[in-house]
Amino acid sequence: MSQNRNKLLDLFIGNLSNAAVHHILEKAIDDAMVMKRYNKEFTISFEKARNYRKRIHPSHTALSDKDMEYITNKLIRKVNAELQQRISNHYGNINLELIEETVQNLLKDTKVI
Amino acid sequence: MDQIYIPKNRQGFSLGSYVVIQPLLKKETPAENPFFYHTGNLETLKVKIIDEIFYTIEKNIESYENIIITGSFLERGFRFNDIDVLIISDECIIERDCKKILEEHIGITIHLIIIDNKSFINGLRTDPLYQAMVSKCVSKKRFVYNVRNEFKYKILDLHLLKSKALIDSFDILSGDEKYEMVRNAASIALFMDNKKISKENIDKFINTLFGKNMNKEIKENMIFDKQDFLRRYKSFHEALFKKILNGIKNESKQK
Repeated sequence: MSQNRNKLLDLFIGNLSNAAVHHILEKAIDDAMVMKRYNKEFTISFEKARNYRKRIHPSHTALSDKDMEYITNKLIRKVNAELQQRISNHYGNINLELIEETVQNLLKDTKVI
Repeated sequence: MDQIYIPKNRQGFSLGSYVVIQPLLKKETPAENPFFYHTGNLETLKVKIIDEIFYTIEKNIESYENIIITGSFLERGFRFNDIDVLIISDECIIERDCKKILEEHIGITIHLIIIDNKSFINGLRTDPLYQAMVSKCVSKKRFVYNVRNEFKYKILDLHLLKSKALIDSFDILSGDEKYEMVRNAASIALFMDNKKISKENIDKFINTLFGKNMNKEIKENMIFDKQDFLRRYKSFHEALFKKILNGIKNESKQK
């Protein structure tokens, strides 16, 4: 992988993990008004991730198994770390079981898998 | 060339007479003048656009509490991407239809938010972005907001998440995007200190934190010492995040 591609992958993962964390935290707050108001912020991170994805070859088909594995693992680790940090500070109602499902959905939406 | 057809047998003026052409339906001029809050001298063209927005909404919506125009449209010059329009109404208004009507009529992209009065007041109490929005705005009706800040730390955490990307994506973000992220974090910090959130206060805060004229340098993507900026930003972001987490911790202890 070239250095530039690695950087793009990291930027893609960074923004997608933000979107995933946002999605899971929204559910933890469990407030319809909050969901409506803050959904836009999820969209911003997701759109940014999608823009980076367009610059990673191949952009229209799924990535190679190696890339797929790298992205999935790194994304899950990142999201998990962000959420654990909050849980250790008594942030209640965070459902860690949502990580896998959320990550998989986001990866499908961005044509990584 | 446009043509107007008139009956051959007409009374009142003969061939070659001068006539005045004017529309049958006259646009009603708004009954009240809008209220300008800390906007300075707005360009005449913008004031006309605002009048058109108010007029169009009034024509198409049965009842509303207020209409507020805010965002970059009110900044000097014409570097805005869209116009932020906030309609406060307890009626059920279809956002998509209203946006379409406005955009067709004005010809500029509209970022429309429709919110009921209770949610708006609640937003002002709990959300620094709402306070930033109304610190500089034009509204259809006079309004006074005097709310006591209420800290909902989980919401503030969601907000701060938006500013995190600056650390990871610094090299790729545009100046406007960087400024938006710094401004977002700065407004959260001001909110938590119960300070007034306005563009001036946010810029003052940014310049105190990062150095003289840094608000402009960030916006123009001309940050001279990237390492120093990122070091300061990381430590500011971490401290703010810690403060929010402490708030969440104390909240959960109180429950």
